[in-house]
Amino acid sequence: MEKNKARSRFIVLCVAPAVILFLIFMVYPTLNVFRMSLFERGAYSPTETFVGFNNFKSLVSDAYFIRAMQNTILLIVVVTIITFAFALVFAGILTREKVRGKELLRVIFYIPNILSIVVISGIFSAIYKPENGMLNSILSLFAGHQVTTLWKGENLVMLSLIIAMVWQAIGYYMVMYMASMAAVPQSLYESAGLDGAGRVKQFFQITIPLIWTNIRTTLTFFIISTINMAFLFVKAMTSGGPNGASEVALSYMYGQKDAGLYGYSMAIGVVIFLFSFILSALVNKVTKRTPLEF
Amino acid sequence: MKKLLALVLVFMLALGVLSACGTPAADPTEPPADDGGDVTTPDDGGENTPASDVTISVAALQSAYENNYPGMWQEVCDAFTAETGIKVELVVEMNLEDVIGPAMQGGEYPDVIHLATGRPAGLTEQFIKDKNIAEITDVLSMTVPGEDVTVGDKLIEGFVNDSSGTNPYSDGKTYLAPMFYGPCGLFYNAGLLEEKGWEVPTTWDEMWELGDKALEEGIYLFTYPTTGYFDAFFYALLYEAGGDQFFYDATHYAEGIWDTEEAQACFDILEKLASYTNPITPAQANNQDFTMNQQLVLDNKAIFMPNGNWVIGEMAEAPRAEGFEWGMIPLPAITEGGDRYSYTFFEQAWIPAGAEHIDAAKQFLSFLYSDVAAEIFAKGSGVQPIEGIVDNLSGDNGVYYSVYENGAKAALGTFASFKSVAGLNTAAEVFFDPFNSLVSGTQTMDDYITNLKSASDQMRANLS
Repeated sequence: MEKNKARSRFIVLCVAPAVILFLIFMVYPTLNVFRMSLFERGAYSPTETFVGFNNFKSLVSDAYFIRAMQNTILLIVVVTIITFAFALVFAGILTREKVRGKELLRVIFYIPNILSIVVISGIFSAIYKPENGMLNSILSLFAGHQVTTLWKGENLVMLSLIIAMVWQAIGYYMVMYMASMAAVPQSLYESAGLDGAGRVKQFFQITIPLIWTNIRTTLTFFIISTINMAFLFVKAMTSGGPNGASEVALSYMYGQKDAGLYGYSMAIGVVIFLFSFILSALVNKVTKRTPLEF
Repeated sequence: MKKLLALVLVFMLALGVLSACGTPAADPTEPPADDGGDVTTPDDGGENTPASDVTISVAALQSAYENNYPGMWQEVCDAFTAETGIKVELVVEMNLEDVIGPAMQGGEYPDVIHLATGRPAGLTEQFIKDKNIAEITDVLSMTVPGEDVTVGDKLIEGFVNDSSGTNPYSDGKTYLAPMFYGPCGLFYNAGLLEEKGWEVPTTWDEMWELGDKALEEGIYLFTYPTTGYFDAFFYALLYEAGGDQFFYDATHYAEGIWDTEEAQACFDILEKLASYTNPITPAQANNQDFTMNQQLVLDNKAIFMPNGNWVIGEMAEAPRAEGFEWGMIPLPAITEGGDRYSYTFFEQAWIPAGAEHIDAAKQFLSFLYSDVAAEIFAKGSGVQPIEGIVDNLSGDNGVYYSVYENGAKAALGTFASFKSVAGLNTAAEVFFDPFNSLVSGTQTMDDYITNLKSASDQMRANLS
């Protein structure tokens, strides 16, 4: 009995620092976001006025916010689908097939993930440069005349962001999928092979069902990281322009803070929070399957 | 149980999204931190009483001037300490907002901040909007430490008044001290025009003629680094179109001002200019790529760009066309023989209302206009707005500052500050950003004017 008590006390003591830090630095600020979204104040002003849900009411009719939200959703959907497909296929090929220089390829795919976003935006600046940029130079080669597509112009800027974001994310998810694919027993593939299942069939019938738990986790990652990454990419690559065409929810929120609407930007924060939370929960719900044991 | 666990996990992850955005803010109702340290505000003393046991904190932006002459601010602070005995704790940073911002959110303010308006983070603008800046009208009548003239006597006329931007509430009270001024105008390659035998245009009509001629040789008339550079351009254009009163009305969003003939003249020029702009400009008009637009001028792919004389240092290492030589003109006149304006850009130094040592801070501000300080600033090419300073400028700098002596009028002022309202963009976003869309053809001039009018109405209703 005594021993048990001492043990519990010990455990509490061990866990306390982490819990306290978590409460102070994560839970409290988050709750504060909700509280501040009900106030009107500047970022540096000592005074604040309670405005109830006025900030949220303004959000609904704020065309710029709606555009930023549309861009965010576009990025979440498109970047997730493309990255997911590529990462899964590449992971499948690299684990299942006998490819030369497999290890090297894995490293190469992973490199973009190590690079800082600022470096990546520098690289893509060179790629997207209208004159003598890498992309336009290659296109000119095929077109037979000088191509000056404005990749960061108003019409294509979102596409350019998507390409950069997919390029950055593939390696990370590929490595995650590879790790769980490596755990799938070889014997399953062998027996499927004997039964006459081809490579593609094996991929869809064995690999995907067996790494399903992993896929579900990464889908949540996709949603959260796309929202966060989009902010970094937009800040570094386009500053939200031209004329606000590439503004995303978080960058808009940040801009509103700079415009002196701290409460309003917190309201945007609340919307993004609820949005990502609900979306993640939905995705989790929809992709729920009984886990297969092997 | 599993479901619950999954939900909790998802919640945690979603929390992660916000943790990137939500900084733990201190209780805003808390009074400024008072640690009982060197709190010896000499509020009982006269304005010029040296309070030698006081230490003031000064936060200054590390801009091109500091980079030109590293240690510039420190030297000025040392000279101030030597003169008055007031010690200075100095912070000079390139990302000043990020360095002093969090502490200020917690209620700890530096005593003097040198940070201009027009920066992306808009920190100074926020302080103006919140009326969170200490009034410094009395600094104008203070004697400059170590000299026997007052600050007001030393300042060049026109820098401190209701329309120049130093009195943001247009009530005759000064809140911002003008610092480092410089003429802005259209920068171009003088060597190119000379080589081709093209005359430098003096009116907009000549400008369009030059544009047609140049385009035949594959050179566009115009480019701009980012739309942010239109401020100087736009202000000078307003002055040209209608003079002082029109400028004041336009920048204070007077009712119906955008329906006037003068405004239409400005819009016509903007519309035409958009069609003469190098079409790749908007794709590079962001903070990452703006030097590529400046490079267009160096490469003879565009003739003019709105800029300030800092561009020379900024592009010093860049490759350029043969025979390249910087030139700058004020804006061409709208009518033959009409007034030509060059916008005078200047930065601001100010005292936060929550500063601890306001009186000592005011002494510091007045010292910034002393000959000693001006000389140190000049080493980094920072030119203080004090009488007679142009005579002492050397080389290139002298050329740019003499633009006003060659017939151009000085345009001063900014859009009036208004209370932030959700869904209402900043003046720069309303007036300048759409130029990108005008150039790429995704917005028509009519759309631009319609948006501008409705935004202007809202700004007028929220004037601070």
